[in-house]
Amino acid sequence: MKALNKEIKNKIIITIIIGLVCTVFFAVMFIQFRTIEETDITAIENMREAELRAAISEWKGKYEETIEQLEANQKLISEYTEKIEKNEEASELIDEDLKKSDIMLGKTDVYGEGVIITLSANGERQIKHYDLLDLINELRFAGAEAISINDIRVLSSTYITQPQENLTVIDGQRVSSPFVIKAIGNQTYLSSSLSLKDSGYIDKAKAVGIDAKLETGKKIKILKYNGELEIKYMKEGIN
Amino acid sequence: MIFIAIVIGCILGAVIGIYAPMVSYTYSGYLAIAIIAALDSVFGGIASTLKKNFDLKIFVTGFFGNAILSIMLTYLGQKLNVDIYLAAIVVFVGRMFNNLAIIRRYYIEKFTKKPNNNN
Repeated sequence: MKALNKEIKNKIIITIIIGLVCTVFFAVMFIQFRTIEETDITAIENMREAELRAAISEWKGKYEETIEQLEANQKLISEYTEKIEKNEEASELIDEDLKKSDIMLGKTDVYGEGVIITLSANGERQIKHYDLLDLINELRFAGAEAISINDIRVLSSTYITQPQENLTVIDGQRVSSPFVIKAIGNQTYLSSSLSLKDSGYIDKAKAVGIDAKLETGKKIKILKYNGELEIKYMKEGIN
Repeated sequence: MIFIAIVIGCILGAVIGIYAPMVSYTYSGYLAIAIIAALDSVFGGIASTLKKNFDLKIFVTGFFGNAILSIMLTYLGQKLNVDIYLAAIVVFVGRMFNNLAIIRRYYIEKFTKKPNNNN
């Protein structure tokens, strides 16, 4: 009886132990299943070492590529900046040139030291157009930079004609005595070359019976050319 | 009775496993090796039962001992930068196949002999 009881007891113990073992085994197994299933293995924290290495080297490659691109872009940017600066310099130079050209052409009002010659006819002799042309020539010879006759700017294209005895035309505008010729240039050269004794313009004019008066000034104003400057036929370059 | 205990144990274990908190992914490797070790013990137990030399003490100590030892070896391997867990897996899976072969042979013999006995 006792032996039977012991056997039954042993069997119960074995059953319980095996049941417990099964419980533990399956519990652990299911925990593991869930862990594996629910973990995002693509997340960096869960990557295996080899995967991490591969990922790092890939990122490193990308990083280096990006750095290279960045450097190239920066180089380009600096090149462009340089070019822009050069262009700005060039455009400044061009602006300066343009200003200078405008002044020289007579498209701007100018002032400076120079002389004012007043020619007026007295009854003896009319002032002819060649008197004015001569004077302009003389003034240019003496280094005049800007000339005007009765506030009409004298340009390289300016013409002075006398279609009738009492009619003098400068660039299409009628002018009459007295003629006030203003010239900007070296005051001393201008006045001395005009007032040379006998051979100077003033003396010559006086000799033929024209009232000629020479004044010098520190601040003579000459107005700009009023008309349009047109180029119709000439082109730049040699053929 | 043992069969009922196994079934109840399995179901209870599955339920516990489903509702138990998750293990962090870092330690799931240790758990996996422990499961392999335990599975080896289970197959070993079945094989020894068939051979009629099953010993509960050996089974229980093997079940827990192997699991713990394999976890420790895996940990040591990680510290030494040697993949010891690979060796453990090879040994356990090898033994599992041995035990499975024993089980298979037992049942093949059992089913092939039965008709002869009847005749």
